[in-house]
Amino acid sequence: MESDIEMELESDNDGEYDDDYDYYNTGEDCDVERLDPKRADPEYFEYDCLTVEDIEKLLNELVEKLNTILQITPSLAKVLLLEHQWNNTVVVEKYRQDANALLVTARIKPPTSSADAASTSAAAAAQLLKMGSSGYKAPPAVGGNANTPPYRSQMCPVCASSQLGDKFYSLACGHSFCKDCWTMYFETQIFQGISIQIGCMAPMCNVRVPEDLVLTLVTRPVMRDKYQQFAFKDYVKSHPELRFCPGPNCQIIVQSSEISAKRAICKVCRTGFCFKCGMDYHAPTDCQVIKKWLTKCADDSETANYISAHTKDCPKCHICIEKNGGCNHMQCFNCKHDFCWMCLGDWKTHGSEYYECSRYKDNPNIANESVHVQAREALKKYLHYYERWENHSKSLKLEQQTIERLRQRINTKVMNGSGTWIDWQYLFNAAGLLAKCRYTLQYTYPYAYYMEAGSRKNLFEYQQAQLEAEIENLSWKIERAETTDLGDLENQMDIAEKRRTTLLKDFFPVAV
Amino acid sequence: MSSLPRRIIKETQRLMQEPVPGINAIPDENNARYFHVIVTGPNDSPFEGGVFKLELFLPEDYPMSAPKVRFITKIYHPNIDRLGRICLDVLKDKWSPALQIRTILLSIQALLSAPNPDDPLANDVAELWKVNEAEAIRNAREWTQKYAVED
Repeated sequence: MESDIEMELESDNDGEYDDDYDYYNTGEDCDVERLDPKRADPEYFEYDCLTVEDIEKLLNELVEKLNTILQITPSLAKVLLLEHQWNNTVVVEKYRQDANALLVTARIKPPTSSADAASTSAAAAAQLLKMGSSGYKAPPAVGGNANTPPYRSQMCPVCASSQLGDKFYSLACGHSFCKDCWTMYFETQIFQGISIQIGCMAPMCNVRVPEDLVLTLVTRPVMRDKYQQFAFKDYVKSHPELRFCPGPNCQIIVQSSEISAKRAICKVCRTGFCFKCGMDYHAPTDCQVIKKWLTKCADDSETANYISAHTKDCPKCHICIEKNGGCNHMQCFNCKHDFCWMCLGDWKTHGSEYYECSRYKDNPNIANESVHVQAREALKKYLHYYERWENHSKSLKLEQQTIERLRQRINTKVMNGSGTWIDWQYLFNAAGLLAKCRYTLQYTYPYAYYMEAGSRKNLFEYQQAQLEAEIENLSWKIERAETTDLGDLENQMDIAEKRRTTLLKDFFPVAV
Repeated sequence: MSSLPRRIIKETQRLMQEPVPGINAIPDENNARYFHVIVTGPNDSPFEGGVFKLELFLPEDYPMSAPKVRFITKIYHPNIDRLGRICLDVLKDKWSPALQIRTILLSIQALLSAPNPDDPLANDVAELWKVNEAEAIRNAREWTQKYAVED
């Protein structure tokens, strides 16, 4: 019974992180003009979650298209596409402009001296592209009669054994090696995880070995499979519109034509990530800044952890307090004093229009101070942002526990016949929205840390403070859900989400 | 151990018959994949006059993977560390199965003539080589006299 309800809840809750999730447009104002979602929602992101088969089909279609236009082998088409971000148009254009240069940069042909290049006609380049795997073998000697064999014996420079010429293969560079050596070499390379980057065996030669030669010579199924898996990975990574889902063991590949720092959520494993850099979603901070911030935190967190202890004393009665919920509006159980967990200031000033807690105050005389003071100031500034970043991250986790407790309470209520599941759904929606808002708030701190002081930073910190105040209000109301009026809660949700989208619209660096 | 590949036999024969000037490589009598190598310090280098002992081992998948080479004689060089390990591209990512023991030893000899402090293995040595080349070269000469010249 219990598990049934849990299941139902899980599925009903699916929408809590969805971008198109719309809790306030519930129908009564459908005469309101429909807005373009791209303009209305700064986080709007169109993408598809595709399987390996889907992607193989998609890539093969691109290969076939290039095949038909240029009349080349699929294997070389793949190399050319890989080198040009899978853009057919660019490949065709470059081919028509200077086929020789295209083949050299794609490492299909060795670089030629300028005198050589002049004699290499486009026709010769085209010839090179058209040969299949049979083209890697030396042609039989012309004019051989029935008495002399078509191939002469030659020595392989790798194994030092003499064999007939038909056992030899070479690429466009002409470096010729025997079949067994090539095969052994390919297997060694594949074993090291190298696939489409395998090069010619000759020293200092950078000509690439195309897929068809590898697959002609490597016959062991295990090695062939490995080669194809690695090659597929490299193909996907070279395609600007494709990303492997970072979820553990997830096979999904996300595709989007908009390559920006927006959130994609895998439809299979539900992992959310930034489409551009693949890390955790980080709006409004951009990819470079969040990377810098996370590296900094990884280096400095020990000190920061040490400095910011896990408990704080009540500013009024000095009783020791451990935080047990996500809300930063604290009420001391001892003296009933209302204060802010972060700045320990009186909560009364936080409720007003100008909320100060999230703002870091620069010391205006800093330029005149000693190096030592400057260093301390720098640490202080970092800790200010780091503590808030950490604190919201902890709050997110604690609020997850609040939802669990809420679920249990509602469970009891429904069992006792007080309302139905549907009646209580709004609470989960509210909790989902709270998580979404706090997540964004958390990522505003690295953004603010790296921002230069000025009017734009002032505006940012003003909006951040507004968002923070509304989030704390919402969290407070959700923790006391049963005694909060439904209309009041919905109003609070509306305000918090509006503050969040306003901040993102003004500062999220993704231009639509 | 499996029988010795033809490639190794051929290479060994040629090393004995047509030795490279300044390089001497002799297979161990018990292990044909292990070579005792002697490289003489190139003229006009701080290693001039020195006789450097190295060991060279051909791994099971040679020539698909590079030989393992190490200096046994102590040497003051920015690309060779205290254990004698050598930082050289042809021993790592630039290895090609068509390269040989002969070519590798020639590359090592060339490394003695042209140290590359921008791609260091021995950091302290490389640092001095960059900051005060004259002193670094003096140290290299001293070490050569101390460790690589037999009385």
